[in-house]
Amino acid sequence: MQINPGMKRKLSVLVVENNQVDSRMLRGMLEKTTYGSFSLECCECLAKACEALAQHDYDVILLDLNLADSRGLDTLDKIHSKFPHLPIVINTGAYQDNLGLKAITSGAQDYLIKGKYLPYGLSKSLYYAVERKKAEQELKAAYNYLRETQAQLIQAEKINVIGGLASGVAHEVKNPLATIIYGIEFLYTKFEDVEDDQIQVTLKAIHEAATKANRIIKDLLDFASLSALQRKSEDINQVIDHALTLIHHQCDKLSIAIQKRYDETLPLIHIDRNRIEQVILDLTLNAIQSMKKGGQLEIATYQKEYEKEDDGWPGPPSNDFRPGDPVVIVDIADSGSGIGEKLLTKIFDPFFTTKRAEGGVGLGLSIARTIMHNHKGLISIKNRENGAGAQARLIFKV
Amino acid sequence: MRKAKILIIDDERGFTEMVKLNLESTNRYRVIVENDSQIALETIIRTQPDIILLDVIMPYKEGPDIVYQVRNHPLVQDIPIIFFTATITKNEASSDCGIVGGHYFLAKPSSVEELIACIESHLDD
Repeated sequence: MQINPGMKRKLSVLVVENNQVDSRMLRGMLEKTTYGSFSLECCECLAKACEALAQHDYDVILLDLNLADSRGLDTLDKIHSKFPHLPIVINTGAYQDNLGLKAITSGAQDYLIKGKYLPYGLSKSLYYAVERKKAEQELKAAYNYLRETQAQLIQAEKINVIGGLASGVAHEVKNPLATIIYGIEFLYTKFEDVEDDQIQVTLKAIHEAATKANRIIKDLLDFASLSALQRKSEDINQVIDHALTLIHHQCDKLSIAIQKRYDETLPLIHIDRNRIEQVILDLTLNAIQSMKKGGQLEIATYQKEYEKEDDGWPGPPSNDFRPGDPVVIVDIADSGSGIGEKLLTKIFDPFFTTKRAEGGVGLGLSIARTIMHNHKGLISIKNRENGAGAQARLIFKV
Repeated sequence: MRKAKILIIDDERGFTEMVKLNLESTNRYRVIVENDSQIALETIIRTQPDIILLDVIMPYKEGPDIVYQVRNHPLVQDIPIIFFTATITKNEASSDCGIVGGHYFLAKPSSVEELIACIESHLDD
Protein backbone atom coordinates (compact mmCIF):
# COMPACT_ATOMS: atom_id res chain seq x y z
CA MET A 1 0.00 0.00 0.00
CA GLN A 2 1.45 3.30 -1.09
CA ILE A 3 0.58 6.03 1.43
CA ASN A 4 -0.29 9.20 -0.34
CA PRO A 5 -0.72 12.01 2.24
CA GLY A 6 -3.77 13.28 0.40
CA MET A 7 -5.48 9.90 0.00
CA LYS A 8 -4.94 7.60 2.90
CA ARG A 9 -6.88 4.38 3.13
CA LYS A 10 -9.21 4.15 6.12
CA LEU A 11 -7.65 1.93 8.76
CA SER A 12 -9.70 -0.43 10.84
CA VAL A 13 -8.33 -0.44 14.39
CA LEU A 14 -9.02 -2.81 17.25
CA VAL A 15 -8.56 -0.94 20.51
CA VAL A 16 -7.85 -3.27 23.43
CA GLU A 17 -8.29 -1.12 26.50
CA ASN A 18 -9.78 -1.90 29.90
CA ASN A 19 -10.34 1.72 30.86
CA GLN A 20 -13.48 3.02 29.19
CA VAL A 21 -12.48 6.63 29.68
CA ASP A 22 -9.26 5.98 27.76
CA SER A 23 -11.23 4.21 25.01
CA ARG A 24 -13.50 7.20 24.61
CA MET A 25 -10.53 9.51 24.51
CA LEU A 26 -8.84 7.48 21.80
CA ARG A 27 -12.01 7.45 19.75
CA GLY A 28 -12.27 11.21 20.07
CA MET A 29 -8.66 11.72 19.03
CA LEU A 30 -8.87 9.49 15.99
CA GLU A 31 -12.16 10.98 14.88
CA LYS A 32 -10.80 14.48 14.77
CA THR A 33 -7.34 13.71 13.48
CA THR A 34 -6.13 15.51 10.37
CA TYR A 35 -3.96 12.54 9.39
CA GLY A 36 -5.95 9.71 7.74
CA SER A 37 -9.22 8.22 8.90
CA PHE A 38 -10.11 5.31 11.15
CA SER A 39 -12.87 2.93 12.07
CA LEU A 40 -12.61 1.67 15.65
CA GLU A 41 -13.81 -1.28 17.65
CA CYS A 42 -13.04 -1.62 21.32
CA CYS A 43 -12.52 -4.66 23.57
CA GLU A 44 -11.93 -4.61 27.30
CA CYS A 45 -9.93 -7.76 27.78
CA LEU A 46 -7.56 -10.12 26.00
CA ALA A 47 -10.08 -12.94 25.61
CA LYS A 48 -12.58 -10.67 23.86
CA ALA A 49 -9.83 -9.19 21.68
CA CYS A 50 -8.79 -12.66 20.51
CA GLU A 51 -12.41 -13.46 19.72
CA ALA A 52 -12.82 -10.28 17.70
CA LEU A 53 -9.53 -10.84 15.87
CA ALA A 54 -10.57 -14.35 14.91
CA GLN A 55 -13.86 -13.10 13.49
CA HIS A 56 -12.95 -9.82 11.77
CA ASP A 57 -10.14 -8.37 9.74
CA TYR A 58 -8.33 -5.43 11.31
CA ASP A 59 -5.42 -3.41 9.99
CA VAL A 60 -3.81 -2.69 13.33
CA ILE A 61 -4.20 -3.33 17.08
CA LEU A 62 -3.87 -0.57 19.65
CA LEU A 63 -3.07 -2.51 22.79
CA ASP A 64 -3.05 -1.62 26.46
CA LEU A 65 -0.73 -3.97 28.33
CA ASN A 66 -2.57 -4.12 31.63
CA LEU A 67 -5.95 -5.79 31.19
CA ALA A 68 -8.23 -7.66 33.54
CA ASP A 69 -7.09 -11.05 32.21
CA SER A 70 -3.45 -10.33 31.31
CA ARG A 71 -0.71 -7.97 32.40
CA GLY A 72 2.55 -6.55 31.11
CA LEU A 73 4.45 -7.87 28.11
CA ASP A 74 2.61 -11.17 28.47
CA THR A 75 -0.36 -9.43 26.88
CA LEU A 76 1.73 -8.54 23.85
CA ASP A 77 3.31 -12.00 23.60
CA LYS A 78 -0.04 -13.75 23.73
CA ILE A 79 -1.69 -11.66 21.07
CA HIS A 80 1.41 -11.51 18.85
CA SER A 81 1.92 -15.26 18.88
CA LYS A 82 -1.73 -15.82 17.91
CA PHE A 83 -1.87 -13.13 15.21
CA PRO A 84 1.73 -12.65 14.05
CA HIS A 85 0.70 -10.97 10.79
CA LEU A 86 -1.04 -8.00 12.52
CA PRO A 87 0.83 -4.83 13.51
CA ILE A 88 0.50 -3.95 17.20
CA VAL A 89 0.97 -0.52 18.73
CA ILE A 90 1.27 -0.50 22.53
CA ASN A 91 -0.73 2.20 24.33
CA THR A 92 0.06 2.10 28.03
CA GLY A 93 0.14 4.22 31.16
CA ALA A 94 3.20 2.40 32.44
CA TYR A 95 6.18 4.47 31.45
CA GLN A 96 9.34 2.38 31.64
CA ASP A 97 12.08 2.84 29.12
CA ASN A 98 13.17 -0.79 29.29
CA LEU A 99 9.66 -2.05 28.80
CA GLY A 100 9.30 0.01 25.63
CA LEU A 101 12.43 -1.48 24.08
CA LYS A 102 11.46 -4.95 25.18
CA ALA A 103 8.03 -4.52 23.59
CA ILE A 104 9.61 -3.46 20.29
CA THR A 105 12.00 -6.43 20.26
CA SER A 106 9.04 -8.68 21.09
CA GLY A 107 7.26 -7.61 17.93
CA ALA A 108 5.38 -4.38 18.76
CA GLN A 109 5.59 -1.63 16.14
CA ASP A 110 5.50 1.29 18.58
CA TYR A 111 5.23 1.96 22.32
CA LEU A 112 3.05 4.96 23.15
CA ILE A 113 2.57 6.43 26.64
CA LYS A 114 -0.96 7.57 27.41
CA GLY A 115 -1.25 11.33 27.64
CA LYS A 116 2.05 11.91 25.86
CA TYR A 117 0.80 12.12 22.32
CA LEU A 118 -1.55 14.20 20.20
CA PRO A 119 -4.09 12.98 17.63
CA TYR A 120 -1.68 13.63 14.77
CA GLY A 121 1.14 11.63 16.39
CA LEU A 122 -1.16 8.75 17.26
CA SER A 123 -2.57 8.55 13.74
CA LYS A 124 0.85 8.62 12.17
CA SER A 125 2.07 5.92 14.51
CA LEU A 126 -0.82 3.65 13.44
CA TYR A 127 -0.30 4.25 9.72
CA TYR A 128 3.45 3.77 10.01
CA ALA A 129 2.91 0.60 12.00
CA VAL A 130 0.82 -0.86 9.17
CA GLU A 131 3.42 0.06 6.55
CA ARG A 132 6.35 -1.20 8.61
CA LYS A 133 4.59 -4.49 9.25
CA LYS A 134 3.91 -4.89 5.57
CA ALA A 135 7.55 -4.22 4.70
CA GLU A 136 8.63 -6.60 7.46
CA GLN A 137 6.46 -9.37 6.05
CA GLU A 138 7.71 -8.82 2.53
CA LEU A 139 11.24 -8.96 3.85
CA LYS A 140 10.45 -12.14 5.72
CA ALA A 141 8.96 -13.73 2.60
CA ALA A 142 12.00 -12.70 0.54
CA TYR A 143 14.30 -14.08 3.23
CA ASN A 144 12.42 -17.37 3.32
CA TYR A 145 12.54 -17.58 -0.46
CA LEU A 146 16.29 -16.95 -0.42
CA ARG A 147 16.80 -19.55 2.29
CA GLU A 148 14.79 -22.04 0.27
CA THR A 149 16.74 -21.23 -2.90
CA GLN A 150 20.00 -21.57 -1.02
CA ALA A 151 18.88 -24.95 0.29
CA GLN A 152 17.98 -26.00 -3.25
CA LEU A 153 21.36 -24.87 -4.56
CA ILE A 154 23.18 -26.76 -1.84
CA GLN A 155 21.05 -29.78 -2.64
CA ALA A 156 21.79 -29.49 -6.36
CA GLU A 157 25.50 -29.18 -5.65
CA LYS A 158 25.37 -32.18 -3.34
CA ILE A 159 23.65 -34.19 -6.03
CA ASN A 160 26.24 -33.10 -8.58
CA VAL A 161 29.13 -34.13 -6.38
CA ILE A 162 27.52 -37.41 -5.41
CA GLY A 163 26.64 -38.06 -9.04
CA GLY A 164 30.18 -37.54 -10.26
CA LEU A 165 31.71 -39.54 -7.45
CA ALA A 166 29.14 -42.27 -7.77
CA SER A 167 29.62 -42.97 -11.44
CA GLY A 168 33.40 -43.07 -11.02
CA VAL A 169 33.30 -45.45 -8.10
CA ALA A 170 30.47 -47.53 -9.53
CA HIS A 171 32.32 -48.26 -12.76
CA GLU A 172 35.41 -49.31 -10.84
CA VAL A 173 33.39 -51.59 -8.60
CA LYS A 174 31.39 -53.22 -11.39
CA ASN A 175 34.41 -55.07 -12.79
CA PRO A 176 35.35 -56.94 -9.61
CA LEU A 177 31.65 -57.48 -8.95
CA ALA A 178 31.26 -59.16 -12.33
CA THR A 179 34.11 -61.50 -11.38
CA ILE A 180 32.43 -62.38 -8.08
CA ILE A 181 29.05 -63.02 -9.69
CA TYR A 182 30.53 -65.24 -12.40
CA GLY A 183 32.60 -67.03 -9.78
CA ILE A 184 29.54 -67.83 -7.73
CA GLU A 185 27.56 -68.92 -10.75
CA PHE A 186 30.34 -71.33 -11.66
CA LEU A 187 30.50 -72.71 -8.11
CA TYR A 188 26.72 -73.15 -8.13
CA THR A 189 26.89 -75.43 -11.16
CA LYS A 190 29.96 -77.19 -9.77
CA PHE A 191 28.35 -77.95 -6.40
CA GLU A 192 24.83 -78.44 -7.68
CA ASP A 193 24.72 -82.09 -6.65
CA VAL A 194 26.75 -81.79 -3.46
CA GLU A 195 24.54 -82.26 -0.44
CA ASP A 196 26.42 -80.02 1.92
CA ASP A 197 24.24 -77.40 3.56
CA GLN A 198 27.18 -75.25 4.58
CA ILE A 199 28.40 -74.91 1.00
CA GLN A 200 24.91 -74.10 -0.29
CA VAL A 201 24.29 -71.56 2.51
CA THR A 202 27.66 -69.91 1.89
CA LEU A 203 27.12 -69.66 -1.84
CA LYS A 204 23.65 -68.26 -1.34
CA ALA A 205 24.92 -65.62 1.10
CA ILE A 206 27.69 -64.51 -1.28
CA HIS A 207 25.28 -64.44 -4.19
CA GLU A 208 22.77 -62.31 -2.27
CA ALA A 209 25.49 -59.92 -1.10
CA ALA A 210 26.83 -59.50 -4.63
CA THR A 211 23.32 -58.97 -6.00
CA LYS A 212 22.65 -56.33 -3.36
CA ALA A 213 25.92 -54.56 -4.13
CA ASN A 214 24.97 -54.63 -7.79
CA ARG A 215 21.60 -53.06 -7.02
CA ILE A 216 23.23 -50.25 -5.03
CA ILE A 217 25.59 -49.54 -7.89
CA LYS A 218 22.73 -49.52 -10.34
CA ASP A 219 20.91 -46.97 -8.16
CA LEU A 220 24.02 -44.81 -7.96
CA LEU A 221 24.53 -44.90 -11.70
CA ASP A 222 20.87 -44.11 -12.29
CA PHE A 223 21.38 -41.19 -10.00
CA ALA A 224 24.41 -40.00 -11.91
CA SER A 225 22.95 -40.40 -15.38
CA LEU A 226 19.57 -38.79 -14.85
CA SER A 227 20.05 -35.82 -17.07
CA ALA A 228 19.81 -37.71 -20.35
CA LEU A 229 16.08 -38.16 -20.89
CA GLN A 230 14.49 -39.90 -23.85
CA ARG A 231 11.20 -38.06 -24.07
CA LYS A 232 8.22 -38.92 -26.22
CA SER A 233 4.51 -38.10 -26.15
CA GLU A 234 3.00 -40.61 -23.73
CA ASP A 235 -0.31 -41.46 -22.10
CA ILE A 236 0.42 -41.20 -18.37
CA ASN A 237 -2.44 -43.60 -17.53
CA GLN A 238 -0.69 -46.32 -19.53
CA VAL A 239 2.62 -45.59 -17.84
CA ILE A 240 0.96 -45.93 -14.41
CA ASP A 241 -0.80 -49.13 -15.43
CA HIS A 242 2.49 -50.66 -16.50
CA ALA A 243 4.10 -49.72 -13.20
CA LEU A 244 1.14 -51.25 -11.37
CA THR A 245 1.60 -54.61 -13.09
CA LEU A 246 4.95 -54.79 -11.31
CA ILE A 247 3.47 -54.33 -7.83
CA HIS A 248 0.22 -56.25 -8.22
CA HIS A 249 1.62 -59.35 -6.66
CA GLN A 250 2.85 -57.50 -3.59
CA CYS A 251 -0.49 -55.74 -3.17
CA ASP A 252 -2.36 -59.05 -3.31
CA LYS A 253 -0.02 -60.56 -0.75
CA LEU A 254 -0.55 -57.69 1.71
CA SER A 255 -4.31 -57.34 1.05
CA ILE A 256 -3.93 -53.87 -0.42
CA ALA A 257 -6.75 -52.79 -2.71
CA ILE A 258 -5.81 -50.61 -5.67
CA GLN A 259 -8.36 -47.96 -6.55
CA LYS A 260 -7.82 -46.16 -9.84
CA ARG A 261 -9.57 -42.95 -10.86
CA TYR A 262 -8.19 -42.01 -14.27
CA ASP A 263 -9.24 -39.14 -16.46
CA GLU A 264 -9.46 -40.95 -19.80
CA THR A 265 -9.40 -37.70 -21.76
CA LEU A 266 -5.94 -36.59 -20.59
CA PRO A 267 -3.68 -35.03 -23.21
CA LEU A 268 -0.42 -36.83 -24.02
CA ILE A 269 2.57 -35.49 -22.10
CA HIS A 270 6.20 -35.28 -23.16
CA ILE A 271 8.07 -37.61 -20.81
CA ASP A 272 10.75 -40.29 -20.59
CA ARG A 273 8.46 -43.24 -20.06
CA ASN A 274 10.98 -45.44 -18.24
CA ARG A 275 12.04 -42.72 -15.85
CA ILE A 276 8.50 -41.68 -14.96
CA GLU A 277 7.56 -45.31 -14.48
CA GLN A 278 10.51 -45.52 -12.10
CA VAL A 279 9.12 -42.53 -10.14
CA ILE A 280 5.64 -44.04 -9.94
CA LEU A 281 7.03 -47.41 -8.95
CA ASP A 282 9.08 -45.83 -6.21
CA LEU A 283 6.12 -43.87 -4.82
CA THR A 284 3.79 -46.87 -4.93
CA LEU A 285 6.39 -49.12 -3.31
CA ASN A 286 6.80 -46.58 -0.49
CA ALA A 287 3.03 -46.53 -0.13
CA ILE A 288 2.87 -50.33 0.01
CA GLN A 289 5.62 -50.47 2.61
CA SER A 290 3.58 -48.21 4.87
CA MET A 291 0.57 -50.56 4.66
CA LYS A 292 2.02 -53.82 5.94
CA LYS A 293 -1.35 -54.75 7.46
CA GLY A 294 -3.31 -54.06 4.31
CA GLY A 295 -5.10 -50.93 3.16
CA GLN A 296 -5.97 -48.95 0.11
CA LEU A 297 -3.76 -47.50 -2.61
CA GLU A 298 -5.56 -44.74 -4.49
CA ILE A 299 -4.26 -43.42 -7.80
CA ALA A 300 -5.94 -40.54 -9.56
CA THR A 301 -5.06 -38.64 -12.73
CA TYR A 302 -6.67 -35.41 -13.85
CA GLN A 303 -6.01 -32.22 -15.73
CA LYS A 304 -6.53 -28.71 -14.50
CA GLU A 305 -5.14 -25.23 -14.61
CA TYR A 306 -2.17 -24.75 -12.36
CA GLU A 307 -2.82 -22.77 -9.18
CA LYS A 308 -0.38 -21.52 -6.63
CA GLU A 309 -1.83 -23.93 -4.07
CA ASP A 310 -0.65 -26.80 -6.26
CA ASP A 311 2.91 -25.75 -5.54
CA GLY A 312 4.90 -28.54 -4.02
CA TRP A 313 3.31 -28.79 -0.65
CA PRO A 314 5.56 -28.33 1.38
CA GLY A 315 8.35 -27.71 -1.12
CA PRO A 316 9.51 -24.39 -2.52
CA PRO A 317 7.50 -22.53 -5.15
CA SER A 318 8.19 -23.49 -8.73
CA ASN A 319 9.51 -21.10 -11.32
CA ASP A 320 8.42 -23.41 -14.12
CA PHE A 321 4.68 -23.03 -13.64
CA ARG A 322 2.45 -20.00 -13.77
CA PRO A 323 -1.11 -19.86 -12.52
CA GLY A 324 -3.40 -20.86 -15.37
CA ASP A 325 -0.88 -23.17 -17.10
CA PRO A 326 -2.56 -26.43 -18.14
CA VAL A 327 -1.11 -29.32 -16.12
CA VAL A 328 -1.63 -33.05 -15.71
CA ILE A 329 -1.62 -34.26 -12.11
CA VAL A 330 -1.04 -37.73 -10.69
CA ASP A 331 -2.05 -38.26 -7.05
CA ILE A 332 -0.93 -41.39 -5.24
CA ALA A 333 -2.45 -41.81 -1.78
CA ASP A 334 -2.18 -44.61 0.77
CA SER A 335 -4.00 -45.47 3.97
CA GLY A 336 -0.78 -46.35 5.77
CA SER A 337 1.07 -45.00 8.74
CA GLY A 338 1.93 -41.59 7.24
CA ILE A 339 5.26 -39.79 7.61
CA GLY A 340 6.57 -38.15 10.77
CA GLU A 341 6.44 -34.36 10.42
CA LYS A 342 10.16 -34.07 11.11
CA LEU A 343 10.98 -36.58 8.39
CA LEU A 344 8.92 -34.78 5.76
CA THR A 345 11.63 -32.20 5.16
CA LYS A 346 14.30 -34.87 4.71
CA ILE A 347 12.67 -37.52 2.60
CA PHE A 348 14.07 -36.16 -0.65
CA ASP A 349 17.65 -35.95 0.67
CA PRO A 350 20.10 -38.39 -0.93
CA PHE A 351 20.97 -41.31 1.36
CA PHE A 352 18.16 -40.50 3.78
CA THR A 353 16.20 -43.66 4.53
CA THR A 354 14.07 -45.11 7.29
CA LYS A 355 14.65 -48.56 5.81
CA ARG A 356 18.40 -48.92 6.29
CA ALA A 357 17.89 -52.19 8.17
CA GLU A 358 15.91 -53.59 5.23
CA GLY A 359 18.67 -52.71 2.79
CA GLY A 360 17.42 -49.26 1.75
CA VAL A 361 20.08 -47.00 0.24
CA GLY A 362 18.03 -43.81 0.50
CA LEU A 363 18.23 -42.77 -3.13
CA GLY A 364 14.70 -43.63 -4.30
CA LEU A 365 12.92 -40.33 -3.64
CA SER A 366 16.04 -38.34 -4.34
CA ILE A 367 16.18 -39.94 -7.79
CA ALA A 368 12.43 -39.41 -8.21
CA ARG A 369 12.80 -35.72 -7.47
CA THR A 370 15.72 -35.34 -9.87
CA ILE A 371 13.73 -37.12 -12.59
CA MET A 372 10.75 -34.82 -12.04
CA HIS A 373 13.04 -31.81 -11.92
CA ASN A 374 14.60 -32.80 -15.25
CA HIS A 375 11.08 -33.02 -16.70
CA LYS A 376 10.43 -29.53 -15.33
CA GLY A 377 7.70 -31.12 -13.27
CA LEU A 378 6.96 -31.12 -9.57
CA ILE A 379 6.88 -33.84 -6.95
CA SER A 380 5.62 -33.40 -3.42
CA ILE A 381 4.62 -35.60 -0.53
CA LYS A 382 2.49 -34.77 2.48
CA ASN A 383 0.38 -36.49 5.05
CA ARG A 384 -3.32 -36.72 4.24
CA GLU A 385 -5.45 -34.20 6.04
CA ASN A 386 -7.59 -36.73 7.83
CA GLY A 387 -4.42 -38.22 9.30
CA ALA A 388 -4.74 -41.55 7.53
CA GLY A 389 -1.67 -42.12 5.39
CA ALA A 390 0.41 -40.09 3.01
CA GLN A 391 -0.19 -38.60 -0.40
CA ALA A 392 2.27 -37.94 -3.21
CA ARG A 393 1.58 -35.60 -6.11
CA LEU A 394 3.26 -35.35 -9.49
CA ILE A 395 2.60 -32.33 -11.69
CA PHE A 396 3.49 -32.36 -15.38
CA LYS A 397 3.44 -29.66 -17.97
CA VAL A 398 1.12 -30.25 -20.89
CA MET B 1 29.70 -80.88 -32.75
CA ARG B 2 32.48 -78.33 -33.05
CA LYS B 3 32.77 -76.08 -30.04
CA ALA B 4 32.40 -72.40 -30.81
CA LYS B 5 35.62 -70.49 -30.26
CA ILE B 6 35.20 -67.40 -28.06
CA LEU B 7 37.98 -64.89 -27.54
CA ILE B 8 37.68 -62.60 -24.54
CA ILE B 9 39.89 -59.53 -24.45
CA ASP B 10 39.84 -57.88 -21.02
CA ASP B 11 42.59 -56.76 -18.63
CA GLU B 12 40.74 -58.11 -15.55
CA ARG B 13 42.38 -61.51 -15.14
CA GLY B 14 39.97 -62.74 -12.49
CA PHE B 15 37.01 -61.85 -14.64
CA THR B 16 38.32 -63.52 -17.80
CA GLU B 17 39.06 -66.69 -15.78
CA MET B 18 35.49 -66.75 -14.49
CA VAL B 19 34.05 -66.26 -17.99
CA LYS B 20 36.25 -69.09 -19.28
CA LEU B 21 35.25 -71.45 -16.44
CA ASN B 22 31.55 -70.75 -16.86
CA LEU B 23 31.44 -70.97 -20.63
CA GLU B 24 33.66 -74.05 -20.90
CA SER B 25 31.66 -75.89 -18.22
CA THR B 26 28.74 -75.93 -20.67
CA ASN B 27 30.87 -78.02 -23.06
CA ARG B 28 29.69 -75.85 -25.92
CA TYR B 29 32.50 -73.34 -26.10
CA ARG B 30 36.24 -73.12 -26.18
CA VAL B 31 37.40 -69.88 -24.60
CA ILE B 32 40.67 -68.12 -25.34
CA VAL B 33 41.74 -65.33 -23.02
CA GLU B 34 43.81 -62.26 -23.88
CA ASN B 35 44.56 -59.86 -21.01
CA ASP B 36 47.01 -57.67 -22.92
CA SER B 37 45.17 -55.30 -25.23
CA GLN B 38 48.40 -54.31 -26.99
CA ILE B 39 48.71 -57.70 -28.67
CA ALA B 40 44.96 -58.25 -29.09
CA LEU B 41 45.01 -57.98 -32.91
CA GLU B 42 47.79 -60.60 -33.23
CA THR B 43 45.83 -62.93 -30.95
CA ILE B 44 42.67 -62.45 -33.02
CA ILE B 45 44.51 -63.19 -36.28
CA ARG B 46 46.30 -66.19 -34.79
CA THR B 47 43.24 -67.79 -33.12
CA GLN B 48 40.49 -66.84 -35.66
CA PRO B 49 37.64 -66.89 -33.07
CA ASP B 50 33.95 -67.22 -33.94
CA ILE B 51 33.14 -64.28 -31.69
CA ILE B 52 35.05 -61.65 -29.72
CA LEU B 53 34.04 -60.35 -26.27
CA LEU B 54 35.82 -57.05 -25.87
CA ASP B 55 36.28 -54.77 -22.88
CA VAL B 56 36.09 -51.03 -23.59
CA ILE B 57 38.43 -49.38 -21.10
CA MET B 58 41.83 -51.08 -20.91
CA PRO B 59 45.34 -49.76 -20.29
CA TYR B 60 47.52 -49.03 -23.36
CA LYS B 61 44.88 -49.79 -25.97
CA GLU B 62 41.11 -49.35 -25.61
CA GLY B 63 38.35 -51.50 -27.07
CA PRO B 64 37.23 -49.11 -29.85
CA ASP B 65 40.84 -48.94 -31.18
CA ILE B 66 40.89 -52.71 -31.44
CA VAL B 67 37.55 -52.69 -33.29
CA TYR B 68 39.01 -50.23 -35.78
CA GLN B 69 42.03 -52.47 -36.37
CA VAL B 70 39.88 -55.58 -36.76
CA ARG B 71 37.44 -53.98 -39.18
CA ASN B 72 40.36 -52.87 -41.36
CA HIS B 73 42.13 -56.22 -41.42
CA PRO B 74 41.01 -58.52 -44.29
CA LEU B 75 41.70 -61.75 -42.34
CA VAL B 76 39.46 -60.96 -39.37
CA GLN B 77 37.17 -58.09 -40.37
CA ASP B 78 33.94 -60.14 -40.35
CA ILE B 79 34.25 -61.59 -36.88
CA PRO B 80 31.36 -60.41 -34.69
CA ILE B 81 32.44 -58.28 -31.74
CA ILE B 82 30.47 -57.69 -28.54
CA PHE B 83 31.56 -54.95 -26.18
CA PHE B 84 31.41 -56.43 -22.70
CA THR B 85 31.75 -53.46 -20.42
CA ALA B 86 31.04 -51.78 -17.13
CA THR B 87 30.95 -48.37 -18.78
CA ILE B 88 27.26 -48.66 -19.55
CA THR B 89 24.38 -49.82 -17.40
CA LYS B 90 21.86 -52.49 -18.20
CA ASN B 91 19.28 -49.81 -18.80
CA GLU B 92 21.46 -48.27 -21.45
CA ALA B 93 22.30 -51.56 -23.16
CA SER B 94 19.39 -53.83 -22.37
CA SER B 95 21.11 -57.00 -21.30
CA ASP B 96 19.86 -58.94 -24.32
CA CYS B 97 22.70 -57.60 -26.40
CA GLY B 98 21.50 -54.09 -27.09
CA ILE B 99 22.99 -52.02 -29.83
CA VAL B 100 24.50 -48.71 -28.80
CA GLY B 101 25.97 -46.45 -31.44
CA GLY B 102 26.09 -49.27 -33.99
CA HIS B 103 27.94 -51.69 -31.69
CA TYR B 104 26.69 -54.63 -29.70
CA PHE B 105 26.97 -54.14 -25.99
CA LEU B 106 26.60 -56.39 -22.97
CA ALA B 107 26.67 -54.64 -19.60
CA LYS B 108 28.86 -55.89 -16.79
CA PRO B 109 27.79 -57.50 -14.61
CA SER B 110 25.35 -59.67 -16.54
CA SER B 111 24.41 -63.21 -15.58
CA VAL B 112 26.03 -66.20 -17.30
CA GLU B 113 22.64 -66.94 -18.80
CA GLU B 114 22.49 -63.49 -20.39
CA LEU B 115 26.05 -63.82 -21.65
CA ILE B 116 25.28 -67.18 -23.30
CA ALA B 117 22.05 -65.84 -24.84
CA CYS B 118 24.02 -62.95 -26.31
CA ILE B 119 26.76 -65.20 -27.72
CA GLU B 120 24.22 -67.60 -29.22
CA SER B 121 22.33 -64.81 -30.93
CA HIS B 122 25.54 -63.82 -32.72
CA LEU B 123 26.66 -67.34 -33.56
CA ASP B 124 23.36 -67.83 -35.38
CA ASP B 125 24.09 -64.83 -37.61
